[in-house]
Amino acid sequence: MEFWSEYLSSLLMGFLTTSELVAISAPLGIILGIALGASRVYGGIILGSFARGFSALFRGFPLIVTLFLVFFGLPEIGIYLPPVTSAILSFSLCSGAYISEYVRGAIMSIDQGQSLAAKAIGMTKLQEVLYIILPQAIRRAIYGISNEIVYMIQYSSLAFAIGVQEMYSVARTYNSLYFKSLEIFSLLAVIYLVLTALTTLFFKGLIRKLEIPSKAE
Amino acid sequence: MGIRMTYIYSLFQYIPFIAEGVLWTASLVLGGLGIGFIIGLPLAIAQSFGGKKLGKVLNAYVWFFRGTPLLVLLSLFYWAIFPSFGFKLDPLKTSILVLGMRSGAYQSQIFKDSIKSVDYGQILAAKAIGMTQRKLILYIVLPQALRISIPAWSNEYAVILKDSAICFALGVMEILTRVRYVSTATGLALIPYLFAGILFFVLTFSGTGIMDFIHKRTRIPGMVEGLR
Amino acid sequence: MIVLRAEDVWKRYDDTIVLRGVSLNLKKGETKVIMGPSGAGKTTFLKCLNLLVKPDKGRIWIDGEEITSPKADITRLRQKIGFVFQELNLFHHLTAIGNVMIGLTKVKGMSKSDALKKAKETLKRVHIEEELWRKYPAQLSGGQKQRVAIARALAMDPIVMLYDEPTSALDPGLSSEVLLVIKELSERGITSLIVTHEMGFAYEVADEIVVMNRGRIIGGGSPEELRNAKNDEVRNLLNKWNGLKDGVLV
Repeated sequence: MEFWSEYLSSLLMGFLTTSELVAISAPLGIILGIALGASRVYGGIILGSFARGFSALFRGFPLIVTLFLVFFGLPEIGIYLPPVTSAILSFSLCSGAYISEYVRGAIMSIDQGQSLAAKAIGMTKLQEVLYIILPQAIRRAIYGISNEIVYMIQYSSLAFAIGVQEMYSVARTYNSLYFKSLEIFSLLAVIYLVLTALTTLFFKGLIRKLEIPSKAE
Repeated sequence: MGIRMTYIYSLFQYIPFIAEGVLWTASLVLGGLGIGFIIGLPLAIAQSFGGKKLGKVLNAYVWFFRGTPLLVLLSLFYWAIFPSFGFKLDPLKTSILVLGMRSGAYQSQIFKDSIKSVDYGQILAAKAIGMTQRKLILYIVLPQALRISIPAWSNEYAVILKDSAICFALGVMEILTRVRYVSTATGLALIPYLFAGILFFVLTFSGTGIMDFIHKRTRIPGMVEGLR
Repeated sequence: MIVLRAEDVWKRYDDTIVLRGVSLNLKKGETKVIMGPSGAGKTTFLKCLNLLVKPDKGRIWIDGEEITSPKADITRLRQKIGFVFQELNLFHHLTAIGNVMIGLTKVKGMSKSDALKKAKETLKRVHIEEELWRKYPAQLSGGQKQRVAIARALAMDPIVMLYDEPTSALDPGLSSEVLLVIKELSERGITSLIVTHEMGFAYEVADEIVVMNRGRIIGGGSPEELRNAKNDEVRNLLNKWNGLKDGVLV
């Protein structure tokens, strides 16, 4: 049927856009999250408070509000970002804020002795954080980080509201043209479910790879 | 810059309009949390104490509602599923139901985890004094599990509150929909959306604050909590 | 030649004064043992020497340079001190050889191949054989872990090794392998300052035993001198301990 071939090919285009959004926002969000989390623990009063406020802000604002703020609000102070860029910025800020919480928790859960030992061999604070603390903290935070990435895939659908032609916007368009709501949205749901499952699988594998071997062998 | 002070003052007239939206948002959140609780708790009990086959079915429910984006769920039920069952298409009611079903999936996991974290010895002791499964769950496990759940549940509240904004996509007259309306009407965006953000922010932290208070008040004296 | 010098070190935590003017010198090649009851301040004193704990008063010199001076380059001076912790503190995410190498590559700036060579040599010195090199700390026994920790400190070529109750956190059977390594190093001329409860070991390895109690050095001397202690306080303490072995009444 013509509907299906059209819908599927449009969905494919939408899927590429969705992938683009996530592929760029995820690493950005993770890097931001690590930087913010580390700043909250190691930053002085100024940097630490800034990171704390930043994190609270973007966790307290719904993602959709951030999207609108970036796309519709920023132009009022002279910053014009196209839809995809606005979406990427918003997703990165939002997930970065949530990931910073996981990273912060992970850093604080590492015992003091690691830090003492690093100092004892003459490491500077930066070396200590970079080579001893963060490698261990990221391993601990990765479960939380993987959850955030899965959420990002799901919430990428919100980008339709600022005109990004991702998967949901395609479905919505077809929904207004054809009377096939059930097929349209069911397929969309299945696609997201599969994406979620694959991502979860990927992270499970990653977690296992990063695991530090223990005596139970 | 183009923002004239007169426009900003005119924004103030919209505050009652937006404030009314808080009531709608509240019904979304409370309705969603409530339905989620009614679904989630029995689900968690079934998953913890029920048979394997039932468990598989329930896992599918959880998997479906957690793996599908809220937008897609809202659209699916509003345009496809409810109509085909002949249900009312009211955006508000649809949204509350969908939020509820989804929250039920998340809450079931919260309660499942906290049920699991109740010391197994409690169950053994209850059995030893002759309690039936039903009584044991009701009087021993649940009271403890529910209290343990409060922090995670408070997080669920924060999530639903933010998710409620997504219901703008169905046209529900909650906070964000109204702010969008104001933005279109006045041609301003930065201030209205900032206002929306701050409003959600305040609602989030007051809600979680209340729950922190309840958490502390219902403390079991002498018990050392597991590390969060 | 004095390698380490501490003069009148004081430290207080909140209401408690943990160190009350402790002074100590260490000559090159010397091995001194600090003994005393729990809470005497031994660990705190040791941690002051490489400024893991900041003393409230007093001065400390490492190889002639004052580490307590505000202008001191602490990270550089710490490279000259090898510190072995009671709680081991091996880096969990690195293998045994990784633990030894990381100071060499990241702090000393050695090339990876040089660091690898040095790490292998050092691990052999503490009797950690090749099959253990690629293991992670979680896969090693307590005695193996502590010896790796010694190697980690030793590989930096410090001028003094500080051991903070190196065997206290280990299961009893695993202490001897660690003490043996410490003794060997001491006999090869490594300047050592050891805090330990192991009296027999102390008598074997020490050039001088220093006794601390309640934040002060109350006495000391060579092992022989201590066996015939004149000082009452010292004698009483030692007598109390002589009846104990590893904290258990014998």
